Amino acid sequence: MASRIEIYSPEGLRLDGRRWNEVRHFRCAINTHPISSDGSSIIEQGNTKVICNVIGPAEPTLRSRVLPDRVSISVKLVVAPFSTIERRKRPQSDSRIQEMCSSIQHVFEDAVIAHLFPRSQIDVNLYVVAQDGGVLQACINATTLALIDAGVPMYDYVCACTAGMLDREVLLDLNRIEESAMPFLTMATIGGTRKVALLLLEMKVQFDRLESMMAAAMSGCHHIRDLMDNEVRKHGKSRLERGSL
Amino acid sequence: MSDADSAEGEAIDEDDDDERLFSLDNNENGDGDARVTGLVQGRHIVTPGELVTADSMWMRGHGTYSVGVKSYSSVAGTITRVNKLLSVAPLRGRYDPKIGDHVIGRIIDVGTRSWHVDIGAKQAAVLMLGSVNLPGGVQRRKSESDELQMRAFLKEGDLLNAEVQAVFTDGAASLHTRSLNYGKLRNGYFFTIPSSLVVRSKYHTFELPGGVDLVLGVNGYIWLRKHTQQLGEQGVSITRLAEEAGWEIYSDENEYISVNTRESIARYANAIKALEYCEVGVNEARIIAAYEASKEYKSPGEMIENYVKKRIVKYVLLTTNG
Repeated sequence: MASRIEIYSPEGLRLDGRRWNEVRHFRCAINTHPISSDGSSIIEQGNTKVICNVIGPAEPTLRSRVLPDRVSISVKLVVAPFSTIERRKRPQSDSRIQEMCSSIQHVFEDAVIAHLFPRSQIDVNLYVVAQDGGVLQACINATTLALIDAGVPMYDYVCACTAGMLDREVLLDLNRIEESAMPFLTMATIGGTRKVALLLLEMKVQFDRLESMMAAAMSGCHHIRDLMDNEVRKHGKSRLERGSL
Repeated sequence: MSDADSAEGEAIDEDDDDERLFSLDNNENGDGDARVTGLVQGRHIVTPGELVTADSMWMRGHGTYSVGVKSYSSVAGTITRVNKLLSVAPLRGRYDPKIGDHVIGRIIDVGTRSWHVDIGAKQAAVLMLGSVNLPGGVQRRKSESDELQMRAFLKEGDLLNAEVQAVFTDGAASLHTRSLNYGKLRNGYFFTIPSSLVVRSKYHTFELPGGVDLVLGVNGYIWLRKHTQQLGEQGVSITRLAEEAGWEIYSDENEYISVNTRESIARYANAIKALEYCEVGVNEARIIAAYEASKEYKSPGEMIENYVKKRIVKYVLLTTNG
């Protein structure tokens, strides 16, 4: 596939017309499902679309989940059968899904101020409705927004972005075709800082090229943080204007 | 603060010149106090990770965390100030129990000498056997046989209204029903709204026109029931009230409820849901205004349409805000 399609043209344009350092069209909404959950969000990054519902902090459903000094976070990820080109059902026990759940859980166990809610539980339910690359980053961004909507105290936003390396060119925020054509990493940062919450690289890449990939991914994270922050402020302002507080 | 936090603090420090960080104790203005007061009136929104103040004169309240002398917001919300205490009130969040709140709860578990009650808070509340009125009066001692027949009083799934008696350090609440205003609920309809929409007031039980009683729990749990005469209204002397309370306070049997009353209950429920839909604070005056406004619709079922909800709330805001 990669040999036939020109991933990155000599003029510096990608398949969808972006430059190397441009993120895909980013749309997010907060408080989308106010009745069924405590916090909810929808994220669209390009053609990838994720819905997140957060329930809690609430009384744990299982006794085994109770932690005496901190809140326990559990993540459930559902990938819709219609989310890709080929219709395929992915069971909850799918090892890739399990892996993503546990990395999201670890990221947010550190990002949430956990000691404030001992003996309680936060359920994060993620639904991947459409996938076109960068599913993990979209899941992390959606979880951040939903947790903020639920009023869960966090140290800062957690925002994630991918970056790939094609020959010697760094490309930011890959779509599905680009993802299959080059090694890429997913990075999550704590807000606008240089602190890394997650760094996932599943392919081989030359060590000296890693740094430029990380730098690009980080700037993408910071950009996404600002986009999400704008949305939260917009939502907060509209609530204030309605006088619901 | 742990090492991780201080490391993060250093990282955040680099951003200090960034215009999105909003410092309250602005040295150029000289008067940090005035700045905060202005903010509270202007209802400025802060988001997680945003600098609230870098001045150590402020005490840090809920919704903030500190790294060194700087404090940052941990939730998205508005800054509130009480004297020297700065806190951030989240835009949304679960119900946070406070002593004296009138709440409605549902029994989720019967334990030894206590019940666990879901009140929509971060943890389940406890209702001790010693904090309920048992048939036979206040003075009655709780015996072992009472412990054994706790399910006869309140069992899983039962709804009750109660008052928050104490809040433990971890945020869990302890309830009591030692007044005839509180206790098991029957003859009515239960639903919930977000607790942030309920305005705390002196009373939370209302007798509404149309033969309906409303219990508006501070936790956003709502009970609408057929109006029943309270024991006090039946001519029993106030000192003997508790003795008169027999087993009927724990009865599960519903009384006969007429079609008209049922319709009124449905109308009130939909009126409150309309206020909820438009995210307008709920109080007695607004509920009655919404009920009156809804009378232009023949059936309460028509009130589930969103445009109807908006119309009703528009009318309510016009009439109740003067």
